[in-house]
Amino acid sequence: MTVVNLQYYAQLREQAGTSSEQFTTGASSLRDLYEELRVARGFSLAADALKVAVNAQFSAWDRPLRDGDTIVFIPPVAGG
Amino acid sequence: MSRFELSGAAVDTTGQRDRLRHPASGGYCAFEGWVRNSNEGREVDGLSYEAYAELAIAEGERIVAEAIERYGVTDARCVHRTCDLKIGDMAVWVGASAPHRDEAFRACRYIIDEIKHRLPIWKKEHYVTGESDWVACTHVYREHEHEDHHAHHQHAQTQPFVPDYSRQTRLRDVGEAGQAKLAASRVLVIGAGGLGCPVISYLAGAGIGTLGIVDGDRLDASNLHRQTMYNASDIGQYKAELASRRVAALNPTVNVRIWKELLTAANAVEVFGQFDLVVECTDDMRSRYLSSDAAVVSGTPLILASIYQYEGQLQFVAAQPGTPCMRCLWPQEPAPEAVGSCTLSGVLGPVPGVLGAMQATEALKYLLGLPQPNAGALSLVNLIDLSIQHLPIDAANGCVAHGGCVAVARRALARAVDEEAIDLAFDRLDDAVAAGFRLVDVRNAEEWASDPMPVVAALQVPSAQVMERAGEFADGRYLLVCASGRRSGHAARLLRDESMQNVYSLAGGLNALRVAG
Repeated sequence: MTVVNLQYYAQLREQAGTSSEQFTTGASSLRDLYEELRVARGFSLAADALKVAVNAQFSAWDRPLRDGDTIVFIPPVAGG
Repeated sequence: MSRFELSGAAVDTTGQRDRLRHPASGGYCAFEGWVRNSNEGREVDGLSYEAYAELAIAEGERIVAEAIERYGVTDARCVHRTCDLKIGDMAVWVGASAPHRDEAFRACRYIIDEIKHRLPIWKKEHYVTGESDWVACTHVYREHEHEDHHAHHQHAQTQPFVPDYSRQTRLRDVGEAGQAKLAASRVLVIGAGGLGCPVISYLAGAGIGTLGIVDGDRLDASNLHRQTMYNASDIGQYKAELASRRVAALNPTVNVRIWKELLTAANAVEVFGQFDLVVECTDDMRSRYLSSDAAVVSGTPLILASIYQYEGQLQFVAAQPGTPCMRCLWPQEPAPEAVGSCTLSGVLGPVPGVLGAMQATEALKYLLGLPQPNAGALSLVNLIDLSIQHLPIDAANGCVAHGGCVAVARRALARAVDEEAIDLAFDRLDDAVAAGFRLVDVRNAEEWASDPMPVVAALQVPSAQVMERAGEFADGRYLLVCASGRRSGHAARLLRDESMQNVYSLAGGLNALRVAG
């Protein structure tokens, strides 16, 4: 199992009900982790609609997870 | 027939008035300017007007036409005297007739203000002492819509306004040289709403030479909690016009150009080319993509921001080779349902204020040549925990794989030009039905219940289900309708991608109908 720090923005924050949380996962990649969270947190957006960053750098979805990673999921927003 | 005249003889006010009579006019309003016996403390016993006639007539015609268009009056006319006049003589006559008095008063006021400001007419005052002096009829200060101000306020402004930029020129990095750069700068602000209000205000205050303002919307009461340039009495007026008046009141030395409709794929590159920097402040994803594409193709830097509830995103697009554009990060326009909006998701008023102030700061830094260490990043601003996170965007992972930003942007603009034929404007839904369209309400079930369409739709298909129910749009032409035109526009584009050329979207949605009605 891997323990990661998650940060949520915009719609994801709203749906998760929190800006951040520590999460223990059996997922091996960012994509698998997000699919797990879609079920666990009820996220409506598909991974392809989002950007993901790990440790303050944008990342590809196939990146493997490491203990202690800080992972940020970012949806596009349009308000103005 | 000409509506503006220069006249060497006395004005025939009765004849002028009769030419404004029209069955649709419920009233008429006139302004007469007379020669008075003193000016700035000197006694005057007469004056002479000299005009650059050709230019004055052309400009006068333009001013009257602007007033008719701007206030929707039935007709308007103006006569300006030339030659020698005595105390009490009429120097200028303005008249406007309209269905309602308010427009007539406003049009009159607009014409006389613009005439005094713009017409190449000079007056020579003859003083009782026997001396005489040429006095320019133009003055820098002009603000339309004076109804909100007290008369004494106007008198305080008879001297030309001289801006004082000392609080910013005192900064070592600004100085007089920096101020000169700002004065020579041309900045286009797209969207005069929650983000645009601080951007426009701060850039006008800073003494930007030319501000372009693009906004197709009229002010709504629901805007006022976050759009701080406007008053409750402004509701229903075009924001671009309100914003230009605000700039004129704040810093009359700034030139303002306004667009009362969003730019199109056909004109955006050309318009961007007329500015040094563009600040994108709309709440419209299509406008953002259009701005990114036009910035890249025209080589004009762009500052993007958008907000969601308590947070925002900021990106500076340098529009230079090797730097990322918006498509490097978000290659395709997301579905409107995915991105949220102030209308559907809500927003705390100061959130766009903070992001807009950041855009204004970035704009000034860029124009002054100050460092922008996070210029190539997506900045995530969270106003719940007051954090800002900068995520560098690697241009090498972006549009490069698809031929580079410029090639990607050119293709997107070409496609958008084709798509613009999708968005159709109607004043009333009845007109669309009369034109043979079948109406499709693509809003969700709650909206159908809470806010029924003024004309019963032939079909009700929520925008998210449009693709799976595409088979229902078989015969005839369909006009998709939502609240703002965004969801219907996106759905219509998806259907067009499936070769359904018989599908259109109501531009501006039901909101636009309400304003027009």
